[in-house]
Amino acid sequence: MKARAGEWIALYTISVLVALVLSGVLVEVSGGDWWPVLEALVDGSVRGPQRWGQTLGIAAPMLLVGLGTIVSSRAGLVNIGQEGQLLFGTAVAVYFGFRIGGPGPLNVLVLLAFGALGGAVWAGIAGVLRTHRGVPEVLTTLLMVTVAGQVVAYGLKKQSLLLAPAASRGNRNQVSEQLAADNRLPVLRVFGNEIPSATFLAVILAILVAFAMGRTVWGVRLHMLGRNPRIARRVGVSEQKYGLAALLVGGAFAGLAGAVMLTGGGFQFSNYRLVPGFSAGIGWTGLLVALVAREKVLAAVGAAFVFAALRNGSGFVNSTGVESRITEVVQGFLVLALLIPPAVMFLRDRRRSRAASAAGV
Amino acid sequence: MSSDSPGLVGADVVSVPAVELRGIAKRFGSVVACDRVDLSLHRGRIHGILGENGAGKSTLMNILIGLVLPDGGSVCIDGKPQLIHDPITAARLGIGMVHQHFSLVDALTVWENVALGESGRLDPSEVRNRIGEIGDHFGIVVEPDVRVGDLSAGLRQRVEIVKCLRHDPNIVIFDEPTSVLTPDESAQLFQSLREVVTAEGRAVVLISHKLDEVLAATDDITVMRQGRVVERLNTKLASAPALARAMVGREVSLRAERAALGVLSVGDTHDHVAHSTGELPALELRHVSASTGRSSVALDDVSLSVFPGEILGLAGVEGNGQRPLADLLSSLVPATSGEVVVAGEVVVAGRPGAMTRAGVAVIPEDRHDSGIVLDMTVAENLALVDLAQVSRNGIVDIRQLERRALDLIDEFGVQCEGPHAPMWSLSGGNQQRVVLARELSLDPAVLVAARPTRGLDVGAIDYLNDRLRAAAAGGVAVLLISSELEEILDLADRIAVIYRGHVVGDFPRSDVDVQQLGLLMGGATP
Repeated sequence: MKARAGEWIALYTISVLVALVLSGVLVEVSGGDWWPVLEALVDGSVRGPQRWGQTLGIAAPMLLVGLGTIVSSRAGLVNIGQEGQLLFGTAVAVYFGFRIGGPGPLNVLVLLAFGALGGAVWAGIAGVLRTHRGVPEVLTTLLMVTVAGQVVAYGLKKQSLLLAPAASRGNRNQVSEQLAADNRLPVLRVFGNEIPSATFLAVILAILVAFAMGRTVWGVRLHMLGRNPRIARRVGVSEQKYGLAALLVGGAFAGLAGAVMLTGGGFQFSNYRLVPGFSAGIGWTGLLVALVAREKVLAAVGAAFVFAALRNGSGFVNSTGVESRITEVVQGFLVLALLIPPAVMFLRDRRRSRAASAAGV
Repeated sequence: MSSDSPGLVGADVVSVPAVELRGIAKRFGSVVACDRVDLSLHRGRIHGILGENGAGKSTLMNILIGLVLPDGGSVCIDGKPQLIHDPITAARLGIGMVHQHFSLVDALTVWENVALGESGRLDPSEVRNRIGEIGDHFGIVVEPDVRVGDLSAGLRQRVEIVKCLRHDPNIVIFDEPTSVLTPDESAQLFQSLREVVTAEGRAVVLISHKLDEVLAATDDITVMRQGRVVERLNTKLASAPALARAMVGREVSLRAERAALGVLSVGDTHDHVAHSTGELPALELRHVSASTGRSSVALDDVSLSVFPGEILGLAGVEGNGQRPLADLLSSLVPATSGEVVVAGEVVVAGRPGAMTRAGVAVIPEDRHDSGIVLDMTVAENLALVDLAQVSRNGIVDIRQLERRALDLIDEFGVQCEGPHAPMWSLSGGNQQRVVLARELSLDPAVLVAARPTRGLDVGAIDYLNDRLRAAAAGGVAVLLISSELEEILDLADRIAVIYRGHVVGDFPRSDVDVQQLGLLMGGATP
């Protein structure tokens, strides 16, 4: 086992290095210098004043989306519509949050709960189509992203739905009312950084998800369904129940991520308002987090932080004269770099186990 | 036992050997799979390689076809030294192999599978014609336009053989080709093999652990044990007991061993106690019809009963409805008509978990299909069916899980690195023990065993059969579904036959006439 750990570390080191070198080459080719760009990235993500607090704030919704994705894929379902579930969940939270309007801190909980509910409903549509009609969830979840965008954009045109009253929207259109100060998630101040409480929420939920997947009967049954649906059915794991539940949980996490962006994201995310394009790619990045984490919750925590750092750091990259969207390419390289070692190990293991089974041992 | 003598060369063979292996050695970790093995194959002759699972037969052949690289030794093809480092080289040298484990794509049709891996332009009608030709020539007929997923194991085996023969190889290796064929099909296969070998001068290797077929079908025999060649001789000079002794390394006495090796004639007397009538059947099917997408033959108006304490053997050629029957009793498909009654209670077939809850345990025909989860640990696999035993309030008690796994590993002699070893790291025989351990530990009312000994070695078969008998003696109603008559005759108290989805005949073991059984399996009316 020790030899294998060594192989893993070597493989990951090599492939991440290759990704970084390729990124450096790309920066050079596009007319910049790699060192200042790297410095800008580090400054913008963790080193600059207040930056690591912000990075943690961005990581929180990414991690939440990733956690939900892990639950869905544990059951063998491929949910790739988190971006839409996140947006729709936020819209539901805004709609009910402003109507119920309880006392401040309590209303934050209402907003979060309705966010999760909305995300679950949006994923649930795809889920029911899958479990009761056999429609592939890969397609439906993806297509529902576009639908969610249209539905929310429509809602933001109607004052009866999401649009803020004329008085509080100024000269903007298609914008919801801004959350009152006491309707926002609190912020912790540590060493001059503001750490959103959403980060703690995300980490606590990560621990819960890890526990649920690894230590509960429900988690084992989901795993069974994902890896061998026939034996799952034989021992009583109904795909209609467990598969749907897994998608609902996945959607709920995405919706919760949206509600967290709304109530605790601050100026990183539309400043406590719902606007068209509110989801800002967090759903997609959260999907990538789960992809590279490969169903491992701890790895998802790390991946969310790295991707959040890239996103936050990209703001500083512009000042070096290099297009800041270069970080998206770097992110792409990193995703590949993190996916290649498991694929290599899988192929090697398969070759070895074939050889071993050929030997009858 | 003269391992230093040169490979046997019959008087009628003077040519250069088609294949000459010298001093082949291969280790996997601490396991020596091949220990300085010499082997010569000649054109126009069928060479049997006998040995138990793990004797090194398959490794040796995998070296010959380039799947495994040897640690030492040399390979000569037609007198020329060759380095076979991959299967493509082997194919170029005219070496083809029919593998024991299927490498077919379920979603594709037969002809598509046969053409798979070819390069160049694809001509479907040419491939179809070729399949027809091979079918006529060798007597292994398959329908080219059927989806492979709809075929029974026996028919899939045929597709594998056709796939290999399409390349017209000079040297053909058959790795346990009859493990899924009926006696008739096997005889037919060997007869056509014989014709082809003598007429076309191919060199054929037949890997097997069944003595009777090796004795009947080969010209030369090499016996391997623990990676070494322990005997090589001309088939004419061989006798079954001597070969069995060489193979196992001791005198073979157990009935199950003899049946497994084929030394036992199926007409042997039997001493099972006839089952007492008058009590309630543990499992009863009343006019049940059911179908599964995986088999083209559906169950059609089947009625049968299995009583506590008896083994009912359901004989039949593969693909005659065994699959839907096993799926039905695994809650995987619903009954389209009729009812299934377990211990007096009607069970809704097809509702997830219904059969398991009613007390029906299943050893599936293909353990990878519905028997185990390869990506889970041994401990998890042992607990899959009844997680309540290792959990409290929905939370898995890891120590309880481990303790239960250790007990079962110990009791059923599962060889693994421990309870947390991944299931895929176990050999087939040990995976089967895990399935057996789990299903028997549930204390079931009914045990359905579908081809439970498929691919197991002699020791494991012996053990499994003992376990099935013990389960029956302990009051479990055992339904044994098998296409191997030896297995049925050796174990069953009562015997029924399944043909084209119907169950015909129901005889006490003592009344069975093998001839009659064979006819029923072939579709004669009783």
